[in-house]
Parts: sequence; structure tokens; C-alpha cells
Amino acid sequence: MYTIIVENLTKKFGSFTAVNNISFSVKKGEIFGFLGANGAGKTTAMKMMCGLLLPTSGTANISGYDLATQSKLIKKSIGYMSQRFSLYDDLTVFENMQLFGTIYKIDKKILKERIQNSLDELNMNNFVNDLVRSIPLGWKQRLAFATALLHQPKIVFLDEPTSGVDPIVRREFWGLIYKTAATGVTIFVTTHYMDEAEYCERISIMAEGELKLIGSPTELKEKMGVNTIDDLFGKFVSR
Amino acid sequence: MKAFLSILQKEFIHIGRDRVSLFLVLAMPIALILLFGFTISTEIRNAKISILDQSKDTESKQLIENITASGYFQVVSFLDNETEIDHDFKNKQIKIAMIIPPRFEESLAVERVANIQIINDVSDINIASILNNYLRTIFNDYITEYNLNNNAAENPMSIVTTMQYNPELNSVYMFVPGIITLIMIIITALMSSITLAREKETNTMNMMLITTVKKINIAIGKVIPYMFLSLISTVFILLISVFVFHMPIKGSIGLLLLLCIVFMFTSASFGLLISAVSKTQLDAMMVTMMGLFLPTVLLSGFLFPLDNMPLFFQWLADIFPAKWFIIAIKDVMLKGATFMQIGKYLLILTGMSAGMVGFSLSQIDKR
Repeated sequence: MYTIIVENLTKKFGSFTAVNNISFSVKKGEIFGFLGANGAGKTTAMKMMCGLLLPTSGTANISGYDLATQSKLIKKSIGYMSQRFSLYDDLTVFENMQLFGTIYKIDKKILKERIQNSLDELNMNNFVNDLVRSIPLGWKQRLAFATALLHQPKIVFLDEPTSGVDPIVRREFWGLIYKTAATGVTIFVTTHYMDEAEYCERISIMAEGELKLIGSPTELKEKMGVNTIDDLFGKFVSR
Repeated sequence: MKAFLSILQKEFIHIGRDRVSLFLVLAMPIALILLFGFTISTEIRNAKISILDQSKDTESKQLIENITASGYFQVVSFLDNETEIDHDFKNKQIKIAMIIPPRFEESLAVERVANIQIINDVSDINIASILNNYLRTIFNDYITEYNLNNNAAENPMSIVTTMQYNPELNSVYMFVPGIITLIMIIITALMSSITLAREKETNTMNMMLITTVKKINIAIGKVIPYMFLSLISTVFILLISVFVFHMPIKGSIGLLLLLCIVFMFTSASFGLLISAVSKTQLDAMMVTMMGLFLPTVLLSGFLFPLDNMPLFFQWLADIFPAKWFIIAIKDVMLKGATFMQIGKYLLILTGMSAGMVGFSLSQIDKR
């Protein structure tokens, strides 16, 4: 049961090919790690899957909908948390959640309940009326994650969700990811922390716009005869 | 609709919490109008003049007397020969010199011709032409008076000029329409496109685009609060110009507001256009400055008269909305033009907005 099916997806910017003919599938409820060095084409590929960018060629089926013709339905069933923390700094925690909830046309009463639930779950009740600008980065990222989940998407795209925070906060964040995946939500995550790749059920490695490798971390390490994901990564990416 | 309203609400919160910008936006028009109104004046008093009187008769003395009494000129020196004129321009900072030829009184009485020669310092064109006009008026008055006193009705001829619509030659009347135009453009086009570009930079734009909300709603939500602000500023400017500078509003106030609202929409569509083509705040700023602000200042007839420009620039001026708005607002405020009389301009401005909105939409929908 695949919820993301990507076939021969390509994106060219002029003569530069950012994403070159990639194909892969992700199962429902899976935590899928999308790895690659900076400029490997991760973000471009992800943007195409979210409907932010139009592919040059190729197709994709996201949550049962066709990328080319049903982008509006796709948007309803996905959540997104971008690379840099990007909620509104000058709105309060509550205002941010309410804004995105209302944009997804969630019923007022239900939205209020969901906001309260996720605030309880995240222990963020103390911050609820604080401007987002004033809360610590770790909390901001948890808030962004919770906000991306308000409309109960089937797939969540996380673009380097933990960049810039300390290891303890990162572990806590991954706790949230596991909890969410357990409810049947598919997690599609890019990261440049190799230890985080170990947390994923399956990973793929992108380099120079191409998908070089795909499989579970253990499987891949055995296949390539290396001990860590870091070494594995080093085989494809010159650093 | 609910989604759009919450975006709108968010934009108002953004503006409300950014106190510094809000203050600047509301204070700027007031500062501008007071600055233009009180400091920049096209009226010149006590301009330095040198006079070479080669007649030294009763009539030439009377003319000089009139010039000194007018208050516009201060006679620096009476010269003995023409070479001294150049000396005075260079050393005494005179702005203008006048030569009264020999036999002034005689030629006036016998040949019925009165000649004087005026020499201008045209390194500042505006001052030169203003002083020229002053001197011409004084001269004409003098001739009229001479004719009356000597019962010489038919000749020499004199020109009678009547000042219409701005009889006090009040320069603030010229600036008010221009300032309204600039404020509208700065607030509605510049501010909205900059904040939209800021969202592209901080990535919140992607957060918005990933949702089900339509792109056009994001852009319109951005522009509307600034349209409100610009309208408030316009009302401020009008109040100050009426109550502080006693500028008349001869046409209907309703029509004036309608005109301002139409132009506000034109500026807003410019904002939309700029937002559609620019990716960063710097882009938005440069595009507004080069594509909108400069042409508005230079080619709208606000500071520099369009009639004197080469034909090419006159054509160029036609494609920018500011020129039409300034013509229309002057007609309404100073001449009391009616809806039918400015209908043409309203149509032009509306047509321009429609064109720009159409183009922006085609650009915004691209992914």
C-alpha cells in the first residue's frame, strides 16, 4: 500500500537539471528519510511533490491523487514544515495555529479542540499568548510540526525539521515523529544529521539530482559494506 | 471566504504590531505636506536687480520706482555702462538686470514704443522665468497707468493677465496632488510588495502556498490593509491642505474621494504587479523606485511641466497613471470639475488597473 509513488520525476531550470528522472515509492505510515548533500536536489524534489513547483516531466501520485491534475486534493491531504522555521514571528502561538487551521477550513469548534489538544500534548499552554518571536527555537519547531498536523494530513513533509537545535531537543522531536507515524501518518523527512537517518524505516540518498540508493538503513549498510550511514553517505557525496 | 478573512486579519495584525512602520506611514504624509507647504515656495521676494538707466528722465524714474515698490526686487546698484552688468552678475549675485534705453520718455510720447531690455541669470531656469514674469507684470501695469494718465488709449499696447484657479500663486496647491500620488504609491504599491517579498524571503510564503488557499487571495489580502492606510493618509493630507493651507475644494468632496479611491486601486494593482515579478525585498524596492517612483516624480507634471519635455517623454508620461490622476485631481479641487468632465481620466485609470491585474494574475499562477 503505497501512499507516495514517484515516477521519472525531472525538473530542469534552463540547462541545469536539478532533479534527474527519479522514481521511488513510500508506504503508508512509513518514516522515509530523504538524504542528500546541499544542492543534491532534495528540496526541489520535495517542492514538486507538494505542488509548489511544476515538474518538467514525469508523474507522481500523492495520497491517491495525481500530481498534474489533482493538486488541490493533494494540498488538502499533506502537511509541510519548511527548512527554515517559518511561522509568523509577530503572531502569537495561538494566532498562528488559528490562521493555518482556518485556511484549511477546519470547523471553528473542532479547530479550537484540536489546538487545545496539541497545546496540551506539547506542554505549550504557557506560551499560548506569546509572540512566536519570543519562544525558544526548539519550541518553535515543535509548534510548526503541530501546526502542520492541524488539518490531519495523511502525509507530512518535513524539510530539515531539526536543523539548528541541540541533540536533546532533536531526540524529543523524533519522539513526536514516531508518535505521529504510529497513527498512520506517513512521514517524509529530509535531514543532514546522519544519526537521524538511523531512525528512519527506509532512506534514500540523492546526489547530483539522481536517486543513488534506496532501502532500510541496515540493508544498505550491509550491501555497501560500511558500518555507519555516515560512511555510506561518504561514498556518494564528496565532502 | 473564511480563509481569506483570516489572511486579511493576519495582515492587519502584522501592520498593527509593527508600530514603527505604522507611525512612519501615518506621519510621512503629514511631514511631507508641511515640508512642501511651508518651505518650498515658488514666490520670490527681494530678488537682487541692477538697473542701467540710459534715459534718466521722469518716466524711467517712475518705472524704477514701481519696481522697487513692488517688493519683489531689491535694486543693488544703478549702473553707468553695459560692461558693469556682467560684473554685477558675477560679484553681486544679482539675478536679473534691466536696461532702459536712451530717450525712454520721448519715444513713449512720440513713437508710442517703449522698449526695455531684461538680462536674466538662467543658471536657474525656474527663478529666471518667475522673475521675468514679475518684471513683465510690473512693466505692463506701468504702461497701463501711463496710458491712463496721458489719455493715450490705443497705443502703446499692454497685456493684461488674469490669474485663474490659483490667484495667489500658492505653490502648495501644486504639491498637494503630487504628494497624494506619491503617498498612494509608497504605501499601496511599495509597502505591500515589500512585505509580500519579505514572506518569500522568510519562507512563510511557501507555508502559505502549500495550503489550499488561492495565490490571488494571498496577494489581495496583502494589499487591502495598505489600501486602507493610504486612504487614511490621503484624508489627512486633504484636511491639512484645507485647514492649514486654505486650499479650496471647488468640486464635490464625494467625487474627490472617488477619484482617490480609483487611483488607490491603480496603485494597488501596481503593487500586485511588482509582487508578481519580484522575488526579494530588494527587487521589490528597485522595481518600485525605477518603474514607478521616478517616473511619477519626473513625468507626472508634479514637479516639472510636461509641455516643455521632448515629445518622446510626453508619450512616455502618458503610460504612467500618475499624470492622469494629477490632472484630474487638480481639475476637481481647483476648477470644480464634474464627474462627466473627469470621466475620461477615471476610465484611463480603471483601464490601467485592469490591465495590470490581468497581467499579474497570469504571472502569479505560474509555479
